[in-house]
Amino acid sequence: MKEDFEHFLPLSPATLHILLSLSGEDLHGYGIMQEIARQSQGKYKLGPGTLYDNLQKLIQREWVEELGHRPADDDPRRRYYRLTADGRGVLSAETARLADVVREARARLQKTEVARRRA
Amino acid sequence: MLRHLYLILLRLHPVGFRQRFGDEMLSIFEQEQDNFAASHLLLDGLFSLTRQWALRPEFWREVPISHAETPAPEGVPLFVSLDPFHPRYAAVIYGTLLSIALFCSTCFAIRYSWIRILHLHIPQVQFDQPQRTIARSETATPSPSRSVSPIGEKKSTPVSSAVSLQQPTAVQPLATNQPAAQEVGPPSMEVPFNLDKSSRETAAFALPGKFVASVPSPTVNVPLDAYARKRVIDGAISNLKWYYIDPVVAGKMAAALRSHEQAGDDNEATDGKAFAALLTTQLRAVSHDRHIQVNYSQSVIPAHVPGPSLEEIARYQREMDRTNCTLEAVTILPQNVGYLKLNSFPDLQLCQGKVAAAMSSLNQADAIIFDLRENHGGVPGMVAFLASYLFDHPTHLESFYTRYQNSTLQSWTLSPVDENRLAHKPAFVLTSAETFSGGEEFAYDLKMLKRATLVGETTAGGAHMVRRRRIDDHFSIGVPDTGPINPVSNTNWEGIGVTPDVAVEAANALKIAQSLAEKALQK
Repeated sequence: MKEDFEHFLPLSPATLHILLSLSGEDLHGYGIMQEIARQSQGKYKLGPGTLYDNLQKLIQREWVEELGHRPADDDPRRRYYRLTADGRGVLSAETARLADVVREARARLQKTEVARRRA
Repeated sequence: MLRHLYLILLRLHPVGFRQRFGDEMLSIFEQEQDNFAASHLLLDGLFSLTRQWALRPEFWREVPISHAETPAPEGVPLFVSLDPFHPRYAAVIYGTLLSIALFCSTCFAIRYSWIRILHLHIPQVQFDQPQRTIARSETATPSPSRSVSPIGEKKSTPVSSAVSLQQPTAVQPLATNQPAAQEVGPPSMEVPFNLDKSSRETAAFALPGKFVASVPSPTVNVPLDAYARKRVIDGAISNLKWYYIDPVVAGKMAAALRSHEQAGDDNEATDGKAFAALLTTQLRAVSHDRHIQVNYSQSVIPAHVPGPSLEEIARYQREMDRTNCTLEAVTILPQNVGYLKLNSFPDLQLCQGKVAAAMSSLNQADAIIFDLRENHGGVPGMVAFLASYLFDHPTHLESFYTRYQNSTLQSWTLSPVDENRLAHKPAFVLTSAETFSGGEEFAYDLKMLKRATLVGETTAGGAHMVRRRRIDDHFSIGVPDTGPINPVSNTNWEGIGVTPDVAVEAANALKIAQSLAEKALQK
């Protein structure tokens, strides 16, 4: 399954954060924006235009699906979104890719640090 | 105010995007005004607007499914329906352009592609009136010259046997000394190869009464006046300038007709037949093109010529049956030399079977002689068909150029022929001064390709193809509008004839060819 998603990688920051925010629970658009702000500790803020442009693409790729229902007491203008199995798969693939990058970067940085100390 | 501005921005978004996300974006705008600067949100909206129109054409017309339009409260059963499909405007435009391009390229491919080249039925394509046939007049009287066999072996078959018509056909000339009343083919009748020879101009091809219509001729026996003659000359000149294969020669012929008219040379011709014959003579004197022919018809020539009548087709079929498709002799000579005497290149559809059977009976021969000494032409399709037996791969024989259409059609052999063993056997073609048109093409093509040895006399020298065109109710003109361009020589035999490799009298050609074949087989 992982190979199927490889040609989509790396994901753009917006796509990555949206998928990540939906990995926990179903959220509406505003909820996604808040979750992204929380995950990035306020450092990455997504405007509604960018958010829905990305959601549009993700729905088309069937990584995210729009739910046909919402809690009865919620704002009727809100729509809820859920991560699909494919969406979860691509998120896993991107996470693994990033993990490799981080591991490689750490290894390189450690070598550089050791060499500098010896010098 | 800012909300209103944001609302305008949202409304400017493509309909699919707006319907799907517009309401929720507005609600976010209302909720986020505290966290985002209003200008930031407006800027985001503006970017979104630009992005959707510039980069997302695939979503312009996308309309969300209805359940997304009206999310139902949780737990409530939901019925989903799809909106009717409406293609995007851009898709419709692209589709239209694509269809036009596809149509044009298909037409282009049909016109020029290799498929056409391999298709090989050039006469059928070139002359798109496949049913046209002209039958020989039952009342035609062979000219005295016909009774003299040029080869001294056997009485020649009647003139009609030399006529082959694939689709259109025939042509028959009204000679200056033509005694018999004749009716001419309709205008625009197409003739792949004129079978006419000046020496046999008495051959007449009459259209059946049904075809020429029951319209009584108003001008029979009415003398032509100067005005009527001028009208015919104008019509002839116009047709020649427009259609004749060589515009320079067409100009010379036009000048000649005018000069004869002004000199009063035509004043004696007060009879239609005589005037047609006189014009033919004047035209041939300048062009030396024996395919040119002005004809006079006592009956009115219809303006829009339908195809040949069933009677005409039946008559041609009877003639082909009677003459065995003009296959006068098919035999094996001593030393196992195959001999085929063909007096025309008849209609391919009608005679393909008989010609194929004849060739099949010669399949075991060690050499082959094609006797075309009395062959007066026919259709290029049959020329290519017969030549197919002499090659083991498709071979380009001729390109036929039509000036007024500025188009060229290629004629290729149908080689290889199944089970054919003659492809590499020595081949000889017998020619005479009588060999004409399609007969000359066969000889010329094989000579240029060095595939056969030509034995006999230089041929008559008629390479053009004629299309008959209406001048008025009673006069028509056969205008050669197409000429072959040989791929090897880049020219043809018009006015020159095809010169033999071994020049001997036609009467001795068979004997000489036999001895040459035997010598070739002894090597």
